[in-house]
Amino acid sequence: MEDVHVTAMLVRRCVAGDAAAWEEIVQTYNRRIYNICYRFAGSGNDAEDLTQEVFIKMYRTLPSYDASKGAFVTWVTTITRNLLVDHFRKTKQDRVTDSLDAPVSAQEDAQPLSEQIHDQSAPPDASVRSRELGETVHAALGKLSPELREAVILRDLQDLDYREIATVLKVPEGTVKSRINRGRAELARLLQRTYRQVM
Amino acid sequence: MPEHTNNGMQCQEFDGLLADAIDGILSGSRLDRFQAHARACSACGPLLAEVEAGRNWLRELSEVNPPASLVTSILASTTGVETQRLRVHAPTPQRASLWERVQAWLSGATQPVFAQTWATVRQPRFAMSFGMAFFSISVALSVLGVKPADLSHVSLRPAAIRHTYYNTQARVVRYYENIRFVYEVESRVRELKRNVQPAEPAPNEATPDKKEHKDNTTQQPEQKQERNYSQPDNHLVLASARLGPSVNDAFRKNDPSVVLVSTYRRFV
Repeated sequence: MEDVHVTAMLVRRCVAGDAAAWEEIVQTYNRRIYNICYRFAGSGNDAEDLTQEVFIKMYRTLPSYDASKGAFVTWVTTITRNLLVDHFRKTKQDRVTDSLDAPVSAQEDAQPLSEQIHDQSAPPDASVRSRELGETVHAALGKLSPELREAVILRDLQDLDYREIATVLKVPEGTVKSRINRGRAELARLLQRTYRQVM
Repeated sequence: MPEHTNNGMQCQEFDGLLADAIDGILSGSRLDRFQAHARACSACGPLLAEVEAGRNWLRELSEVNPPASLVTSILASTTGVETQRLRVHAPTPQRASLWERVQAWLSGATQPVFAQTWATVRQPRFAMSFGMAFFSISVALSVLGVKPADLSHVSLRPAAIRHTYYNTQARVVRYYENIRFVYEVESRVRELKRNVQPAEPAPNEATPDKKEHKDNTTQQPEQKQERNYSQPDNHLVLASARLGPSVNDAFRKNDPSVVLVSTYRRFV
């Protein structure tokens, strides 16, 4: 976990106009924020744009960060989550409500997810299978409701503890745990259904 | 979820402990009761299995690498400048161009005091505004007849500057006075002044003369002194004064100040 004093000093330097400090913050957190955005939004292009927006917002609101109120990583994640929620609301009308049988992405030549998993005539090597499995889970994650998805991402992919997630989502810890459990269970059901179709 | 009571644990309690159990932080009698409930309850047992499976699926997701250009894009969109460290890491050409060296000097010399200002100046919209302003000034100067080539002939000696100043001032005044509108306004003001001023009183002698003229109904033109000027040049007018002693003596007795002058006119 981050060193609170070092991060607070870094933020102070950055607010004072030190470009090197800002670059250090960007270097430290860009991977984390990109991954949250990628897992939530589902596409690399959206994740890139959203990550950039998160840093622009962070750059503008950096003077408002108060180290006594929480860790910097929690503050950064809260900004990211709020922006993702805004993005989700904005693109709600445009989103296609496809199912697991729908194509995962445009690059995969409109091949349904179940067919991608079933196509094992020529056994691929371990890395290819791992990549395909990752894509399947990623697609299933995108089918979860936003509330369950964000809770699962923050817990299982970003390793935040329940208190930090409760701060980010602004809900009690009990609700966080409940959402995480329901999210995991829902994901398992989705994937089991997919594999049942395949087998 | 149905409320079952198995081994002294309800499903709601089971649900509350589920996350801790998955994380492996449940121990002792609570863990025993939890496991006993999972085995006995038809709803909570499968739920535990699904939650565990879901968490295992999520472990298959590895971190993805962001695009290589992401950090550069973020820095460009926030501070507007590439920092020194980025330039060191980035593959650089063998010899930096003059513009790049100027940029490096500016970013190095202006940070951190002018970093924000310089970032603003480098924004495309600012460059657009600057370009439009330059274009407008150029058009205005060309319309006014100012040529950049003329500026090279400008002498900066004090005397020359003073001369240019007075020359310009005179030109401006001349231009102002030659404006038709100004001229018309000035002439109207002069007319108004003339009308407001009282007429000059006529000479006292003029009154009886006018009366005489009014009484004159002969319709003869007035005998004026200037009638002689209308005569041709070959009409000679001779005048002579007789100042003989006998006459002088006769008048001297009455009024010594009066000199008798007789005029002879002879038209040739």
